[in-house]
Amino acid sequence: MLRQSAQWAIDRFGIDNLYHCLLDRRVPKAPWYSGDGSTLMALLGIQVITGSVLALTYSPSTDSAYQSVVYITDQVFLGWFIRGLHYWSAGAMMIMIVFHLMRQIVLGGYKSPREGTWLVGVPLFFGVLFLAYSGYLLRWDERSIYGIRVMLQMLGRVPLIGDWLVLFAQGGPSVGPATLARLYAFHVLVIPLLMFALVAIHLYLVVIKGTMTKGERSTPIHSVSQQREIYKSEAASVDKGETFFPWTMLKTGTMAGIVIGLTLLATVFIGPSKLYSEANLTESTMPAEEWWYWWLSGLIALLPASIAPWAVVLLPVAILMFLLLLPFVDRSPMRGARNRPIWILFVIATVVTILLLTDYRRRSPFTAWPESSLPAIPVGMTLPPDAERGRVQFARYGCNSCHAVGKSNASFAVDFALLRGQLSREKIREYILNPPAGVAMPSYAGRMTKEELDTVVAFCHVAQTFPLED
Amino acid sequence: MENRRTWAIGFLAVGGAVGSLAIGIPAILAAFSASIQGRQKHAWRRAGIVDDFKIGKIITADVSTGRGDWSTTLGRLTVFVWRQTDEQFVVFSRSCTDLSCPVTFDPGSECFFCPCHGGIFTKNGTPLAGPPKRPLYRYTTRIRDGNLEIDLHSLPPAY
Repeated sequence: MLRQSAQWAIDRFGIDNLYHCLLDRRVPKAPWYSGDGSTLMALLGIQVITGSVLALTYSPSTDSAYQSVVYITDQVFLGWFIRGLHYWSAGAMMIMIVFHLMRQIVLGGYKSPREGTWLVGVPLFFGVLFLAYSGYLLRWDERSIYGIRVMLQMLGRVPLIGDWLVLFAQGGPSVGPATLARLYAFHVLVIPLLMFALVAIHLYLVVIKGTMTKGERSTPIHSVSQQREIYKSEAASVDKGETFFPWTMLKTGTMAGIVIGLTLLATVFIGPSKLYSEANLTESTMPAEEWWYWWLSGLIALLPASIAPWAVVLLPVAILMFLLLLPFVDRSPMRGARNRPIWILFVIATVVTILLLTDYRRRSPFTAWPESSLPAIPVGMTLPPDAERGRVQFARYGCNSCHAVGKSNASFAVDFALLRGQLSREKIREYILNPPAGVAMPSYAGRMTKEELDTVVAFCHVAQTFPLED
Repeated sequence: MENRRTWAIGFLAVGGAVGSLAIGIPAILAAFSASIQGRQKHAWRRAGIVDDFKIGKIITADVSTGRGDWSTTLGRLTVFVWRQTDEQFVVFSRSCTDLSCPVTFDPGSECFFCPCHGGIFTKNGTPLAGPPKRPLYRYTTRIRDGNLEIDLHSLPPAY
């Protein structure tokens, strides 16, 4: 009876067909790390589940959005877990999608007949980038509001239609309720719907065109028919092929499981991301982006002012064009990492650059901030009276907003302790009154009395002998 | 037979196109209504009482954005007011001209610091360091009945 019902269901719901087409098919053997795609699928699933649960409580209104996020975190049963998992699996998706993309670039995975799979993947990549950006804007805390303004700046710099796009994104003359509503609509509805359609096409193409095999990497491939031949013989071969279910899935599923395990650990032990005070345009604050965009922020800080304002528009466009054109520009018949050393170098250089920029942003040595407390002096040291008076003036005139003293790093401008007594009093005086052109130092000519200037010079001079703290 | 097939395909194509446009065009126009409507030329708001600003000092002032019942969280906006002479006021936007991060004024060094990418502006709003290329935005000001007023719409929409 049970067996008969099962047979009936398998036939009437067309499960047998699906099983044969998707699961019980021969494919060339895949290594475990080709599970990055399955991992992304699994993470997307987690995003949908946790996102749906968050949406049950989240209120996309400027007056209650922040309170609803606080409520989810503190009051909803396991709300902190759902929010944390949504956050950490988003971060995992950012890492995995870069890995997925880089791996295909190293292999040449976009080569014929898989250009379509690649071209559908490119908008999916940008979709993930958008979701990972818009997600933290919905929290409606201080970081969100400045994140929104950065986004508006990016739109505003698009030539010709910039202002028009800003008004569209704001939904009115300034940031307000319609802005949040729009972000919400794009984050939970518009972009995910488009992405589901594209994921379906992407997977359909992965099934009918396959992914790159070992055999394809061993020989130059000049035509699609040659590729087809290699692929088919590998899939059919006893030792070079396998059935997708369960053998390929076992490997890809293991990778997905490990990544999900890590996101769960991060969720439980680190928890959801910190909430700052509610969005406002009045408080003094230090906004920052989520860690997966630190590299971009670091890059913007390093670029000269002549390029920086355009980088936020040009960089995404340049990446988009590069990815879209890649399969058409790279026509070499060689596939596989070993045959593509230049691309290995390219990927390593890109990843190292991203990591270095991330670290640069983490340290943020480029940011000065008002500091009016007295600079510390080495323990046990007594300053000469004029230098001691200068220390007070040093703080009063905001010198240590930029110049840390004896702090080995985290100083925006030069730390005097690093100068080791190189500058004479005359040089220091000259620098304070007439900073050289192009140096980020305001002139204090006309602001300080002669007595104040003398004491500040005395303090700077003696500060050159301070030991450096680690 | 072939003729009927051509007609059928033509009918589907035209019908489909008319149907899509009938729904698509209004949908796009509604989505972009804020862009189409643009914004009013001026939005004058009170920044404070003229006599409360000391000559030569740069201080912050909270301006009501005048949204009122619509949204309370963004109802106030901080700007920097610099009273230069009796009648002359400079009101800076708090938005860094790089990516709109909120700058802070350091009275000691008389510089504006941006917390995001190291932008620094002088007292006059001239960029001194970091990515920003243009000076801090200044609101158009006027004095009405002893009040200092600024025009929120004298800045581009993203600020």
